[in-house]
Amino acid sequence: MPQKPDTTEIAIVGAGPAGVAAAVTAARAGASVTVLDEYARPGGQYYKQPAHADGGPTYPNSLASNIEQGRELLEGLSHPGIDLQCNTLVWNISADELVLDLCGPAGARALQAQCIILCAGATERVMPFPGWTLPGVIMAGASQLMLKAHGILPGKRFLLAGTGPLLQITAIQLLEAGAQIAALVELRSRTEFLRSAASLWRYRDKLGQGFANLQKLLQARVPIKFGHTIARALGENEVSGAVIMRVDGDGRPIPGSETTLKVDTICLNYGFAPATELPRIAGCEQYFDQDYATYATSTNDNLETSITGILAAGETRGMGGAEVAVIEGQLAGSVAAQQLGFSPPIDQNELFDKRLQARAVAATLGKMFQLKPGLCALVTDDVPVCRCEEVSAGEVRTAIRNGVVQLNQLKPWTRAGMGSCQGRICGDILRQIVASETGLPLQDIQPFTARAPVKPVPLEVVGGPVADTGTLTWEDHVGGYGVART
Amino acid sequence: MKAQRISKIERATPVTIIVNGQEIQAHAGESIAAALLAAGQRQISQNNKSSAARGYFCGMGMCFECVATVDGIPNVRTCITEVAPGCIVDTSS
Repeated sequence: MPQKPDTTEIAIVGAGPAGVAAAVTAARAGASVTVLDEYARPGGQYYKQPAHADGGPTYPNSLASNIEQGRELLEGLSHPGIDLQCNTLVWNISADELVLDLCGPAGARALQAQCIILCAGATERVMPFPGWTLPGVIMAGASQLMLKAHGILPGKRFLLAGTGPLLQITAIQLLEAGAQIAALVELRSRTEFLRSAASLWRYRDKLGQGFANLQKLLQARVPIKFGHTIARALGENEVSGAVIMRVDGDGRPIPGSETTLKVDTICLNYGFAPATELPRIAGCEQYFDQDYATYATSTNDNLETSITGILAAGETRGMGGAEVAVIEGQLAGSVAAQQLGFSPPIDQNELFDKRLQARAVAATLGKMFQLKPGLCALVTDDVPVCRCEEVSAGEVRTAIRNGVVQLNQLKPWTRAGMGSCQGRICGDILRQIVASETGLPLQDIQPFTARAPVKPVPLEVVGGPVADTGTLTWEDHVGGYGVART
Repeated sequence: MKAQRISKIERATPVTIIVNGQEIQAHAGESIAAALLAAGQRQISQNNKSSAARGYFCGMGMCFECVATVDGIPNVRTCITEVAPGCIVDTSS
């Protein structure tokens, strides 16, 4: 590892809506900004751009407008004050010195900043069921990414299952790309759905969008099954069908209500959870977001975390959506620039107001589409909960019956959360299962402790011994040491 | 199940990659996972413990279900790694 870290004025982690907005705002104020992003191209997931098209036309309608919006935001990154570093994973953060450890094209490096803005985004939530590890069961967002980034339709006949507005939006995008949709399965009953729509009455544009989406699906004769859940994915080595069931008010599947559908692809989404590994490693205080039932990073109104010099914007501080992320990015970029003595040409008061309004909409949506505890009944004892280590729900329940009440205690008992994904997929699910088995409120069940490296990196990067490098070279396109191609 | 490249969308330069010894056609900028799905290969890895088939799942590099050996480097996330001309992908281990 290098002796002396590189330096920058403002380091921004994540080039999604929040990070890009923060970078552009701070750079326009005069600050030198370094933006670090794990992926090959900026935009995050929401504003993922087509991988190959320069002004590629012909994308299906609703995707094209999303891509266009993203392109406009991303154009700001060409500001000379912004150094965008892609394919760069921030795998550790040290709060005392404001140093980030990086793994990227130049190998292992460290970067010291005067101010850090964490814009790490969010991850999709799912609930397991028998067959959920089969190839062809994917996250709804993953199907959108295939469409957006690659113009590839990841199946022919789809089932969408879970809860919340993303399912409808995804269904429309898949339809426009030529997919058949066997059903859209929404956990909420029709009555709950309408009742919660009423709670959105103050935000008429959101409500209007929601109804327009529903109408599009009904016009396309997509069967929308309210008060249902996916219960099983069928198939040997890949998906060939699915069983859906009706659920009661708690989300518990009702025996005898099974319907079998012939599908080749199943897209899941149960909302999102904030990515908080880096702020937690830094020691930033967390709070429990009641609306989304997830932990998130605490900040004051200026988006400063409990650690001096570290700000957070967007989903990292609680689910809010892309609109909130852009507003908070602008605010954080402006606050950071001000801290360094620049005068950002931006009206912070106006941003405060816009932020409050956008956050209020997000909070209403969060309350509408929370997970339901009865879904744990689908996670029968034979279902692997931790996909990496193949830890079954039965093993987890045995540990709980023996006294385990926190996720960290599950690790030595079962190895759940100890695989490559480091609990990113199963952490939230395990909290649901512990809550359902013990009766403890979700708030009392802490997430897995976050530790560096945030994601797996080659041993050489964390300072381990470098294997025989005689034949190994750093491969930019893969992000690791490998054998040079001939 | 073969994923479909949507016909109306313009593609970048064709690129050939080698997957388990077989040539597969892809386009510059595509992820390795996208190229595999479009070629009809859905199983990308197998679980270390049970050897069960696993594939593209989260699409954003967090679940590590689509890892393969690429140019001799193990555990490469194919969903966020772009194809390079002639790159050698091994999904058998």
